[in-house]
Amino acid sequence: MAVATRLTWSEQKSLEKMLGNVSLRLLYKSSVHERDIRSMNEKCTRQGPTVTIIYVGNFVLGVFMLGDHPEEHNNFKTVNPSFYFSFQKNAITAMKTAVLETETKINSGQLVCYSSGQEVFSVHPGESSFSVDDSLRNTLGTYLRSGSKYSECEVFHVDGIEDDINYISKITGATKHRDSLLVELGTYKPCVDFVSEIRILLLGPIGSGKSSFINSVKSVFQGRLTRQARVGSDVTSITEQYRIYPIKDGRHGKYLPFRLCDSMGLHEKEGVGLCMEDIPYILKGCMPDRYQLNPSRPITLSHPNFIASPSLKDRIHCVAYVLDINSINDLSSKMVAKFQQIQKEVLSYDTACVLLLTKATNCGEFLQGNFSNMDKPMTFQSRIMDASKMLNIPIYNTFVAENYTSEWELDPIKDTQILFVLRQMLRVAEDFFEDLP
Amino acid sequence: MAVATRLTAMQEKKLQNYFGGKRFTLLYKASVHEFSGSNCLKRCCGQGPTLMVIYGGCYVWGAYIRENYKRDDTVPVVLFAFQENEISECDVGAHSPSFFLYEYSVSCSNSLWFLLNLREKKATVSLDTAKKLGLPQDQPISLEECEVFRCEDLLDKRTMKGITQLHERLLHDMKTYSPYGGLVHQIRILLLGPTGAGKSSFFNSVKSVFRGHVTHQALVGSDTTGVSDKVCPFKVTQPLLLCSIRFGFNSTKPITPVHSNYIDNPLLKDRIHCVALVFDINSVEHLSRDMMAKIKKIRRELIKCGVAHVVLLTHVDSMDLISRGDLGDIYKCMLVKPKLETVHRELGFALSDILVVSNYTSEWELDPVKDVLILSALGQMLWASYFLNKIQKSLIPKEIENSTILKSVTFLILIFIFLNL
Repeated sequence: MAVATRLTWSEQKSLEKMLGNVSLRLLYKSSVHERDIRSMNEKCTRQGPTVTIIYVGNFVLGVFMLGDHPEEHNNFKTVNPSFYFSFQKNAITAMKTAVLETETKINSGQLVCYSSGQEVFSVHPGESSFSVDDSLRNTLGTYLRSGSKYSECEVFHVDGIEDDINYISKITGATKHRDSLLVELGTYKPCVDFVSEIRILLLGPIGSGKSSFINSVKSVFQGRLTRQARVGSDVTSITEQYRIYPIKDGRHGKYLPFRLCDSMGLHEKEGVGLCMEDIPYILKGCMPDRYQLNPSRPITLSHPNFIASPSLKDRIHCVAYVLDINSINDLSSKMVAKFQQIQKEVLSYDTACVLLLTKATNCGEFLQGNFSNMDKPMTFQSRIMDASKMLNIPIYNTFVAENYTSEWELDPIKDTQILFVLRQMLRVAEDFFEDLP
Repeated sequence: MAVATRLTAMQEKKLQNYFGGKRFTLLYKASVHEFSGSNCLKRCCGQGPTLMVIYGGCYVWGAYIRENYKRDDTVPVVLFAFQENEISECDVGAHSPSFFLYEYSVSCSNSLWFLLNLREKKATVSLDTAKKLGLPQDQPISLEECEVFRCEDLLDKRTMKGITQLHERLLHDMKTYSPYGGLVHQIRILLLGPTGAGKSSFFNSVKSVFRGHVTHQALVGSDTTGVSDKVCPFKVTQPLLLCSIRFGFNSTKPITPVHSNYIDNPLLKDRIHCVALVFDINSVEHLSRDMMAKIKKIRRELIKCGVAHVVLLTHVDSMDLISRGDLGDIYKCMLVKPKLETVHRELGFALSDILVVSNYTSEWELDPVKDVLILSALGQMLWASYFLNKIQKSLIPKEIENSTILKSVTFLILIFIFLNL
């Protein structure tokens, strides 16, 4: 019999995509190789991350293990962060998953997974049977009793996972945290009832990542990558209109009570990039959505859509300076002077401000274990300090994020960062309201 | 240590092609799983056809066993070696893997023997074989690493079944596609690209896929003056219209308002919804500075007009070492990825906006593998244009809408004008 998986081509592709665009390679197949733990071990140990799948009729149950497949002669449990999934054949889109910090061990001919000391999952190749504990069974939506027989067991090697021992724990922790942030932001209401929508303005040099940030926020809430704001890198600003973007929760959900405002990038020269005189109008809320920005002339009262008497809800409530973290030290003195001038203007309107540093690669490294705070890595420490001093923005209002630029799929670690930054911006904006007379 | 192969991308692709379009799965790596014949055998027997690769100094060689074997079976073995980037082979007849992995001394008179002593990191072959494969005559040959792969056909039955199903689904989705929920009944896609990039071929390919057989409505050719001389709108199916223009360094007559078919104030349904910049994947890394500057300029205009745009890379099947089997998973192919990265880096397109296809040029029959690529690319263009235009339509006030649309037609005129360099 051929050593080929029972999964269909499209099921395998869906699984590979779900695990992060990996490749699955079959190592062991119980119906071809012998049905005992030793054969399984011979073929599957020391191969790196694996996926073990068992087929019970039309039902498929699998576990992705980040660490190596456990070895028979080890007498101790090894930590093995794992990710369980189950689906009905031909209905892979309705997959159920569960993430657990487990330990694995080979115990009297069985591959056993423990979570907090309790046995949650085990496979007995010799008897072609498996068992699942109650809570995991509920999460995975299976009614199959422990000790049931499976018809086939396959183990795959997973190719393409980053070689990071904390990878899955970060992914799983990040997914949980991202989901809770999504819920928190989804039910967010401004703490004051005279404003129904918080407006956050993004200001920064050309190419610093303002429009990308907006796209990233939209993507996280949509659950898939979207690129509504045009982005790119060029000498002059890609964004040429002033835009007030609403954010929608989920594909067909409601609009959230905050808007992100995008503008032209700043340039050190006069007449290039955002016109300085436009800024007060933007801050006050006089500039309409989709106004075509002109680098050499500010908006005038005679513009047809100019908002002559903006109310509190039209104003900008929080300004986020967006800077590329890699070029903080390359900013010319003219640019720095421009920033300081803008900052004075912003403070004169009593608008809250934060600093967002973008294009920080490997942001996953500085999300602390419990994701409640963003720690700053040593490599960026000095730059963050410099940036915060330059603009006189306190360190606790300085954030680091990595936008979505060219990825194929969402990444829970990035999502968590982006949502965290957004939430902090909203909190800072609320503080602004507290300050109002 | 990571369980990854020492083979370079080129070497791996060459081996895959040489042995008949295969995919490799690494089963055993001596430096990770111990230099032991018994370990090697345990991991590799019963795994179907296998390829053993031995690394010794500058030599990369090995054995290909094209049949499945259990512990003590005797199977035909073919030795191969890389000689200056080309592969040469030598048939050494039938051997038993447990023999050549365990036996440490030659006791048979077979002149085509071959022994692999992993524990002592030595391999021996007969002098004739060594000569044929360009291996050192000095025996035993020392080795630093040994890897064993399972070989599977790239386009086996299972894959073909999956691709065929995907093909049917994509075709069905495309045929029942209703743009903007009925707001516009025809999506217009503009193909722009240098002479010979494959725009008209793409149109023919798309039409063929929908027709169900190969058709050549648009004239194609690789003449330097370009075969398509004007803006040719080609209707594909009800909801789809592809227009093709070529650009290059030749002049064309600009479209003027007195042209009989010029539409004065186009509405959403008359404007172009998506632009695809078409390039030959083989030459996309060697675009001249002028061409790159032109592309960047076009891109800025497109962004200003709010038109979605993607890059379409054609002729991927004519790339060196790429075979039909690779088309099934082309975006993950190790020879294609660098090209995508180049376009992403140099032209600033997001990776998800760079599409790869293989047009129908001289075939008579359709191939579901190619069809899936073509339909997916088309789908991505429709998705890009749909999302962008949907938002604009719903939020844009009337006066502004007309001005931006007028801009997009003006832009078409601009293309002609500034190409008259």
